[in-house]
Amino acid sequence: MNRKLIIRMLGALLLIEAAAMLPSLIVALVYGEGDALSLLYSILINILAGSAMSFIPRKDQNSHLRLKEGFIITALGWILLGVFGSLPFILSGTLPRFEEAFFETVSGLTTTGASVFTQYTFDHARRGILFWRATTHWIGGMGVLVLTLALLPKLTGRTAHLVKAESPGPSLSKLVPKTGATAKILYKIYILLSLVEFVTLLLCGLSPYDSAVHTMATAGTGGFSRYGDSIAHYNSVPVETAITIFMFMFGVNFALYYRFLIGERLKAFLHDEEFRWYFIFAVGFIILITILNLDFYQGDFLTSLRYGSFQISSIMSTTGFVTYDFNKWPAASHIIIVIAMLIGSCAGSTAGGIKVIRIIVLSKLSRRNIRATGQPKKMDVIRIDGKSVDEHMLSQIAQFAFMYIALVLVGGFILSLGSSYDLTTNLSASLTCVSNVGPGLGSVGPVENYAGYSVHAKLTASFLMLFGRLELLPLFILFTRSAWHKY
Amino acid sequence: MRIIVIGAGKVGYTLAEHLIAEEHDVIIIDKDDEVIERCTGSLDALCIRGNGANAKVLLEAGVDKANIVIASTESDESNMLACLISKRLGANYTIARIRDPEFNESQMLLQNELGIDVAINPERATALEISRLLRYPFAGSIESFAKGLVEMVEFRAQEEDCFIGIPMKDIAGKIPRLPRILYAMVERNNTVMIPGGDFKILPGDKVFVSGDMMTITEYFRFLGRNKHKVRSVMLLGGGRISYYLSRLIIPMGIHVTLFEINPLKARALSEQLPKVDVIVGDGTDQDLLEEQGLSQMDAFVSLSNRDEENLISGMHASRSGVPKVIAKNSRLAYQEILNDLGLDSVISPQFITSSTILRYVRARENSNGTKIERLYRLVGGKAEAIEFIARKGDSYIGIPLKKLTMKKGSLVSIIVHQGKIIVPFGNDHIEENDHVVIISVESGISDLNEVLYK
Repeated sequence: MNRKLIIRMLGALLLIEAAAMLPSLIVALVYGEGDALSLLYSILINILAGSAMSFIPRKDQNSHLRLKEGFIITALGWILLGVFGSLPFILSGTLPRFEEAFFETVSGLTTTGASVFTQYTFDHARRGILFWRATTHWIGGMGVLVLTLALLPKLTGRTAHLVKAESPGPSLSKLVPKTGATAKILYKIYILLSLVEFVTLLLCGLSPYDSAVHTMATAGTGGFSRYGDSIAHYNSVPVETAITIFMFMFGVNFALYYRFLIGERLKAFLHDEEFRWYFIFAVGFIILITILNLDFYQGDFLTSLRYGSFQISSIMSTTGFVTYDFNKWPAASHIIIVIAMLIGSCAGSTAGGIKVIRIIVLSKLSRRNIRATGQPKKMDVIRIDGKSVDEHMLSQIAQFAFMYIALVLVGGFILSLGSSYDLTTNLSASLTCVSNVGPGLGSVGPVENYAGYSVHAKLTASFLMLFGRLELLPLFILFTRSAWHKY
Repeated sequence: MRIIVIGAGKVGYTLAEHLIAEEHDVIIIDKDDEVIERCTGSLDALCIRGNGANAKVLLEAGVDKANIVIASTESDESNMLACLISKRLGANYTIARIRDPEFNESQMLLQNELGIDVAINPERATALEISRLLRYPFAGSIESFAKGLVEMVEFRAQEEDCFIGIPMKDIAGKIPRLPRILYAMVERNNTVMIPGGDFKILPGDKVFVSGDMMTITEYFRFLGRNKHKVRSVMLLGGGRISYYLSRLIIPMGIHVTLFEINPLKARALSEQLPKVDVIVGDGTDQDLLEEQGLSQMDAFVSLSNRDEENLISGMHASRSGVPKVIAKNSRLAYQEILNDLGLDSVISPQFITSSTILRYVRARENSNGTKIERLYRLVGGKAEAIEFIARKGDSYIGIPLKKLTMKKGSLVSIIVHQGKIIVPFGNDHIEENDHVVIISVESGISDLNEVLYK
């Protein structure tokens, strides 16, 4: 293992994080609520640590980044970003305890949106800090390593490993031959869509600050709101509709936007199997939940549709914004919400979950298994978008689904250790963390928070979020002995 | 430039690697899943699984916007088809690897009809290289520049050579009768150096000298290396390289003894090459080789399909006292070890093919704006020779070289002034429209102004 190369890359990540804190510092200075100093110190600490690490001399000129090292950088990098990113919370006194600040930062970076902020914290939080909280969503959404590559493509060779380890989805789809250029294009689309949302929210009557914070939270499919009661705070149909649409949009594979922009137009979306199913799932769930909630809303179809569609878009895109306390909805709706959490959105988006593409493949695989019982000799090829999927990939996807479910169950068990919460709470908390959604059911429901969990449970939940964001393997590899071998 | 490489075998992969290092946008098409996976992991290129002769796949790779399409799959037919389709779909320039001698005969026709701009035959290119080595048996490698007017020859310095231990700047003074020649590079312990004025050559160093053909011939005659002309060669293996090589060297008056184990192949070769002694038998059989007069041979070339066999029989021939031994080795990775074993001339068809193709790519690039005229990779890619044309208005024009600052690790090796070769020394200067060959141990030089300035 090339330790020096890894440390240099990690140093670069901290420098990027320092740069990402700058806008928050500016916001803090503009509002002058006394949080500027804590942000300034955080930036300085990041720069100091980052430059100390990145100025470690190169061992040799042509040091190649190997696959294993790519994964290790990704895993350690995200943990490190969580640690250093929690500095503003700690230094400003918003969340003085490390595990709470770490939880909040990781929740932000992984675009989960689960919060330990109580109503008291919201009342006392200052705007610079809240801005940093939203910024973590934005940089975590598209990926910090992707950003690093977009800005510093020359950092190391074989960069595909890094993007592969960080990008959600079973396989990496490059848009152009160069990884660095691909990263740039992704970020350009990301910035463009974010700007469109920002302007839309402004037009809906939100203040520039609120628009920016909620845009970043939507773009990363994160879900940190400025207010304790989330989007419900505005109680405005235009705002809800706009955010519903944008949450859905950020759950779409960004490669499709690129293809849309370079001339394929709507064909890019219509001819994409994953998008079609993402759309069908979303519409299907909305219809279903609207009907299931009809009695709850005393037969008011439009109200049921309003809250149902927002919540499905929010849960499927794994954003986690809330307009209504869905804890009060009937049990059948809860099941729909749990299923939507599991599925998540498209590969190559900023969202979490198992991903629609894997669900399609797994369904096709199951169908093939059922057919094969009657006709075992038949050669049956599984296709996506008309292209055959090779068997190795199929088994990887099946294993991923198994590990995902196993992780949710084990996570639920660890969270329940020594906690007074019930099964629904613990299991949904585990699922919502791994899927990077945010709110769960029961005592971690939409109007609740995670402050009531113990220290070990908060740290466990933080790691569950990291597992979910990095799609399990980069973190699991840290637990293998061979990862730490010198060679 | 946007370059599509079809088929990422040994040649395709090496090519892609170099093209990426030169900042091109490379798209790789290969039909093998494993190859694609390997390329995705280790090359910064867009990798597409599919058949390169399939229009749909080519369009996915953006062939309509491609500057160059290089077809380097195993199959000639696939390569031709890929080029034909690419050209029709709008590719600018196509290069195909075509190796079957049958196709070679109708090459012109095929090239015109199929829209192939360049057809590369790896075996023929390799045979050409070997034939040049046989011409200068004392040389490890030979490169020619400026349309063949200038050559650069690699040889190993020996204890008794007169220039050993004398600083470069004093050689001309101390040995006035030694023809003045440019010492372009020296390779010692696997590192390539550009010798400065105080540099001393030691026995065992690999020395690269350049000059015009006459001077080089005189130079080696003075050193006493040019005594033995190759009159007889033993070839191991009856593959395509052997075939092309025989056809190239028989007219030079060289007698060829060829070993081929397969009787049918041996018969076919014998039919095609009446002047060659084709021996049916195992070329690794020491007794058989001795019986055919191995120790009396002037040169031994092992060209079988198995690298190990080539290297071992090469070492055996060397021990038996054959003065010039050339061995084919397909794996580039082991080149350095082989040098330690004393096999001076190890050639790799893959390396030769990819360098040849790279040369064409760079020539294309030249017409697209950069100033490189031609580029040669030397010593397994550790150094480059780059040919430029001096442009009007550049700052170095007309100033004696000793007054200019030279980029470290670079050297002006040849100036061609109005068709006349100048091996430059401090007082020479460059004029407008001169061809200038720079030798550099650093890659990525794209402008003469980067190397020479006031």
